[in-house]
Amino acid sequence: MSTLLFLHDADVLPGTIGALGLLADDLHVAVPRHPGFGTPLDDTAQDWDSVADLAQHYLSDPVTDPPHGPLHLAGAGFGGWIALEMAVRAPHLFTTLTLVSPYGVKLSGPTEPDFADILLLDPTEIVELGWAEPTACHDLRMPGYPPGLTDDDYERAFADRAALSRYAWKPFLHDPRLRRWLHLITMPTLVIAGTHDRLVPPRHSAALADLLPSARFVELPHAGHYPYLERPHAFHREVRSFLIGEAQ
Amino acid sequence: MKLYHFTEMPYPYIAPEAEEANRGLKYFMPNRYYDPVLGHELYQRYLDEYELADELGFDLMVNEHHQSASTLQVSATLSAASVLHRTRRGRVLILGTPLPHRESPIRVAEEIAYLDSVSGGRIDCGFVRGVQGETFPSNQNPVHNLDMFIEAHDLIKKAWTSGDVFSWEGRHYHYRYVSVWPRPYQQPHPPIWISGTSTRLVEWTARHGYTLCNLLGTYDDTATSFRLYRRTAVAAGLPEPGPDRFAYMALCHVAPTEAKAREIGRKLIYYLKPGKLRLGAASPPGYFPPASAVAALQGRLGAVRRMSYEDLIDAGILLIGTPDQVTAQIHRLYEQTGAGHLILMNHAGDMTSNEVRDHLTLFAKDVMPAVTALGADWHDKDTTWRVDNDTTPVQAVLSSALS
Repeated sequence: MSTLLFLHDADVLPGTIGALGLLADDLHVAVPRHPGFGTPLDDTAQDWDSVADLAQHYLSDPVTDPPHGPLHLAGAGFGGWIALEMAVRAPHLFTTLTLVSPYGVKLSGPTEPDFADILLLDPTEIVELGWAEPTACHDLRMPGYPPGLTDDDYERAFADRAALSRYAWKPFLHDPRLRRWLHLITMPTLVIAGTHDRLVPPRHSAALADLLPSARFVELPHAGHYPYLERPHAFHREVRSFLIGEAQ
Repeated sequence: MKLYHFTEMPYPYIAPEAEEANRGLKYFMPNRYYDPVLGHELYQRYLDEYELADELGFDLMVNEHHQSASTLQVSATLSAASVLHRTRRGRVLILGTPLPHRESPIRVAEEIAYLDSVSGGRIDCGFVRGVQGETFPSNQNPVHNLDMFIEAHDLIKKAWTSGDVFSWEGRHYHYRYVSVWPRPYQQPHPPIWISGTSTRLVEWTARHGYTLCNLLGTYDDTATSFRLYRRTAVAAGLPEPGPDRFAYMALCHVAPTEAKAREIGRKLIYYLKPGKLRLGAASPPGYFPPASAVAALQGRLGAVRRMSYEDLIDAGILLIGTPDQVTAQIHRLYEQTGAGHLILMNHAGDMTSNEVRDHLTLFAKDVMPAVTALGADWHDKDTTWRVDNDTTPVQAVLSSALS
């Protein structure tokens, strides 16, 4: 059995949400919570201030050592950025790389933001921009969203936002050093984007795929920034066939 | 009691539709709405009013905000230079320089020392964290705001007092060779003021013995935050802090009749309109501890913005009325909080220069003489806020109204 290390995005609930549960039928799926987002390492991570810290953490974390069979690395959004930082540092460790609309690499000019400002926009705006069908939104947690939760739930959401801000405030959601090392990511790579993602536009993911030596770009219709939540079966089909095909 | 004249130097010519479309006047306001000629006239008018206030016996306060039509002061030190140049007598309180938003604390140390030297020691030096929304013009990480504030302060103070070239390789600031010229005129440095209400900041201010300022809080919240300061200072082995360690800022207008004062004074609530900023700007990530952020989210913060005009007058956040009425309000402020400095926001929005000038003149004639003695005999046993008289438990104050 292969292992899939899936690095989660900002604002999502913990665990094997959406298509990750489907993938667990065939793979050992690990979805660790990032330090700072409600983990025993939160206090330690108060001193961490870059995604490089998180990459270093996961590269030395027992969750990947020893893996059950081939080790597949994946990440969505913010987690996709962490996966990119890990892949350039230790490309030999991973059989494949799967990226879902990742942040992390700036491709446009100084006056063109590559990503929506998820640290300023209201939750309703993030849902609007991040889902093909906003009313179907589920498995997201943000300050004040969804309405009607307890103060404790919202405190957690604010603390998660603070952690994200510590890692990603400036430069905003990207690491300027990352682009110059992308040529090291030689493992088979799948870049997936939802056609309706307006947090990370699909054209950004496509352009990023062009910079990766062995990447294929797939656009999932009727999905936004969270295709594994919004179109779990279609997502599962694409990723499962990629992982099984490349692991042989 | 020392009295300070203050205006944020607003640009009052923004159409309501533009204000609505841009979620208020601050931080995200397109500058096509600014007219350079009108702006020049405003600056001259506001500086003229500072000049008049100085002649009438007020001290003077300046501040800064950024990317904002509600404040054309872009640098408190630049404003202080302008006001110093126009005045001869009053102290100039810089309240303040938002340390976490300035790239270089060394530059701040130099500018304050320069102003203090040029003016022969007329400077009071306030340091502030910068209100939440300031995060966006400066783009400094809000998570580090308070840590940067404290580290920048430590570096500035050492730069003023070290006497030697030193190196600073800290968490947020790095300099291999520091030796600031000039040194301040007031030795070892100008009086330092801090504004804020967070527990950590109030305790830190108390242990340093700096003057603590509350901006537009309710008297209860202000007294609570000053109580924390007094208890912390005494617990740290410092002498009981007197009124000169406490400042309050209120909006103020006096007129010969109550009706006239209330009619014109209504313009002062310009600064207390309900906030329209996104939650991410009113409560940036990590700026507040999570519990305070939730309180803001649930509307338990910024209650001042939801009070009616009449309630704001009753609460003393608006000092509005005849000279006798405002004198009584100021006495009540002193009795409830022990504040020895009162910063008067004498202007807001589209209040005319004549309205400001008439108010300043009347205040100086009829209110000033009736309140300047407050705080001189603070050792009186009958004050409720003296440490020995005050048995109320220490509580946390969530935050002031401003964002």
